[in-house]
Amino acid sequence: MNLDLGGPGPGCSALRVRRLLAGELSGVEKERTEAHLTGCERCAAVRQEIAAEREALRRDVPFPEFAAGVAEKLAHRPRRDFVSRWAPLAAAAGLALVAGTALVLRPADTGPGTQIKGSASAQLFVQDETGVHGPAADEWVPDGARLLVSLRPEQHKRVAAVLIETGEANVIYQGPAVKGTLPQAFEWTGKGVATLLLVLSDSPVDAKTIRSRDDVPRGAEVLQFTLRR
Amino acid sequence: MRVRSGGLFLEVGPVSVLGLRVVVGGRAGEVAGPGSPAPAGLLAELYEKHAAAVYGRCRYLLKDDAEAKDALQDVFVKALRALPEFRAAASPSTWILRIATHHCLNLLRAHKALWREQLRTVQAERRVETESPDRRELVRVVLAAAPEEAQEVAVLYFVDELTQAEIAQEMGRSLPTIRKRLREFLACAREALGVPLQEGGDL
Repeated sequence: MNLDLGGPGPGCSALRVRRLLAGELSGVEKERTEAHLTGCERCAAVRQEIAAEREALRRDVPFPEFAAGVAEKLAHRPRRDFVSRWAPLAAAAGLALVAGTALVLRPADTGPGTQIKGSASAQLFVQDETGVHGPAADEWVPDGARLLVSLRPEQHKRVAAVLIETGEANVIYQGPAVKGTLPQAFEWTGKGVATLLLVLSDSPVDAKTIRSRDDVPRGAEVLQFTLRR
Repeated sequence: MRVRSGGLFLEVGPVSVLGLRVVVGGRAGEVAGPGSPAPAGLLAELYEKHAAAVYGRCRYLLKDDAEAKDALQDVFVKALRALPEFRAAASPSTWILRIATHHCLNLLRAHKALWREQLRTVQAERRVETESPDRRELVRVVLAAAPEEAQEVAVLYFVDELTQAEIAQEMGRSLPTIRKRLREFLACAREALGVPLQEGGDL
């Protein structure tokens, strides 16, 4: 028996069905494709597959997560490229070019008891009624906004995210340090100033014991965001 | 168009890289009003139109949902950085699917050992299999044995179901070159699977 690997059929093309549904066909090609679709089982199966793809996208990568990931990757463009691309434009416009470095936290001196290693980084995103964005350095967190953290843990295996306010600490996440957004967004309902600590470590850390930077175990790496409202 | 970077608005030309602010709603390319966030809705629009197909392609080729999610975002970053080309494409769907295919094939090449292992598994299964296999899955694993350009041509032909003439136009290659690449792929498939293959009417 000869094995059939498929390929375009008489009038059948998966990509043409996609293009039709995306509104990219017009005129005779559109009419011909629509007429063909009416009686073609093979193309009907392609339509079902396209519908299944949409379901999978909504289930696995909802827009806020997608947008945060794309923005984070755009923000991590190598600085040399970014500057070389934008500097002429900024000069022409007479504007100072300020890259969004305030949004990306890199390891800083963390004081006694904490060792710095690697180049882990994290990025905070705010989701409010206007969308998902990386906040400016001095931006206040709007009421009702959801906060997402995107992580680049480098060599670290575990991460704990703890939100610290005056007299209170809440564990936002504790588990494997996976590159990308943390599984859950969270809402900060407090007022004033709060600190979000990300503790990256190679072995599990009991996040409930962390109420300030001083509680971070030796050997862990700490990234810190300050939230204001 | 305005983009926001580090709290400043930058006036740029009609084409730009997105700033960090991503706004749901609005129309692509609309000009932001004074002090309003920008750019409006472009990413949301692209997500609605193309993300499902790209994610489907990444899942099909990579067979790993986590890697597919990452690849989906990478593909859109590439698309945003080549926005003029993307928008000028005769078929944006075709353009972004080709970017996705190319990106995933590169990832697979970087993990060639794993890809080859999957091919060996399919070869072993083929010896005992009595039911018709999933054709597209066979194409996917056989890609591992094919030369680079034949890989992309095979995806366009067997998965996207473009004709050879359409592939030639899309890739900017001659028709004989496309036919040659497809024959290379089929030769690899015959050797890898150890079975005769039914050739399409236009091969």
